[in-house]
Amino acid sequence: MIWIGGVLVSPGDRSLYGERMLQGHRVWDSRRSKFAALAHLGCEVDLLPALRVLYLGAAHGTTVSHIADYVESVYAVEIAPRPMQDLLSLARQRGNIVPIMGDATRPEEYAPLLERADLIYQDVASPRQAEIALAHRVFLREGGILLLMVKTRSIDATADPDEVTRGVIADISPSYRLKAAVPLDPYHRDHRALLCEGVK
Amino acid sequence: MKYGMQRYWFGDVMDGACTRAEGDARTLADRVSSLSTRREGFVPLHWEQARECGAVPDRAGYLAMLREVTSLLAERKIQAWSARGDAVLIQKVRMLEDLDRAANLVAERFQEWDRALHPGPRDQLREAAPRQALEEARGRAAGAQASVISSVDGLALARAALVQEVSTGAGEILPNCTALVGGLVAARLLSAAGSLDALARLPAASLQVLGARAALFAHLRTGSPPPKHGILYQHHRVHNAPRGRRGNVARTLAARLAIAARLDRYRGVRDEDFLQHADDAVRRAGRGT
Repeated sequence: MIWIGGVLVSPGDRSLYGERMLQGHRVWDSRRSKFAALAHLGCEVDLLPALRVLYLGAAHGTTVSHIADYVESVYAVEIAPRPMQDLLSLARQRGNIVPIMGDATRPEEYAPLLERADLIYQDVASPRQAEIALAHRVFLREGGILLLMVKTRSIDATADPDEVTRGVIADISPSYRLKAAVPLDPYHRDHRALLCEGVK
Repeated sequence: MKYGMQRYWFGDVMDGACTRAEGDARTLADRVSSLSTRREGFVPLHWEQARECGAVPDRAGYLAMLREVTSLLAERKIQAWSARGDAVLIQKVRMLEDLDRAANLVAERFQEWDRALHPGPRDQLREAAPRQALEEARGRAAGAQASVISSVDGLALARAALVQEVSTGAGEILPNCTALVGGLVAARLLSAAGSLDALARLPAASLQVLGARAALFAHLRTGSPPPKHGILYQHHRVHNAPRGRRGNVARTLAARLAIAARLDRYRGVRDEDFLQHADDAVRRAGRGT
């Protein structure tokens, strides 16, 4: 990962969505991206050049575009038509982004398009986030990493975020071993990042 | 362990042997749409299989071809979404709300400006409504003021045209909901739900308080009384009902609306029988019999 004077950046020759440029690099803002927030909080997931990433909940492709600057390929899944249009424009400019319009709660609909990933990044506003992670276990290679950005408010709008997170960890435990759980405050309120390893 | 045939976007793989699916990106996209994959027994592909069966020459070729197929699939889905019509109707409703907000904002500022320009005693003790202040200034306004007034007139024209289109659109896309609560309220409910699919899946209890988000969350957090109605309040049967009956009317109406939304989503035409019964039920709720 590239840091310039305490600022996380990704290699890229020009700004894609209005982000600042710093010495020929794209600034990766921790308020716009949970991945960047996690790195700023000291939990860095190294994005090696050979990685294949499956990204669930790609939205407009902000974080996708930065990850794609580092890795071999990103399979970007998004369900909503409006952000999907932005994602398609982005994919036209980045040869290593595979845009997939689909519902992450129904992976069977796009399964014939996916290969196994080294890293699954999940950032989906759904009450069924644990179920989604479990359903995609088959698309993670042995020893691969799941980075689950738990949106606690999407699961229960009023419950305690820590309690909701504990529930998610318990639910995914048959398939994933937890390595770290990081609250993303103050960058993203009521979000918890779960760094997990796939288990057999 | 044997898994049987695996069907992927580029071809079928059986016992390690791959049969390539012939054709260009369009044909392959058609193929992907027609596959019905099941989770049980599914084995994810290795891209090398596509190379082995001659579908692609190398990794770069694999990604390029796949990207073409997935982009095409996405574009088709976006087209279908746009053609369904509910997305456009929702944007029209939201534009209507924005036009109202914009016109009110400009009128309020105009009133303050006019007060500074023409101070002095007024006939009424009560402050006139901003839009009325605009009317009063119409005759004497000049320069930029006159131009602001004609801009607000322009917004009003756009609003009138839009109301027409929203009502017509709601009648087409939400025939049963529109028959129950009118085109504008039906369209606003659709906008709050986000899509026709989402509206048709909402339980009646959610429909009843749609548009009363702040009150609902205040209730959930602090235990204040729950909201009786949100957007539904705009329907005359609800806001004309006696205070003590409004909650009942809203609940009954929401229950019938939940059915109406499903009819609209899955059948798309008016159901006169249903509408007659629903109307009776709402009437009874208003009387309390």
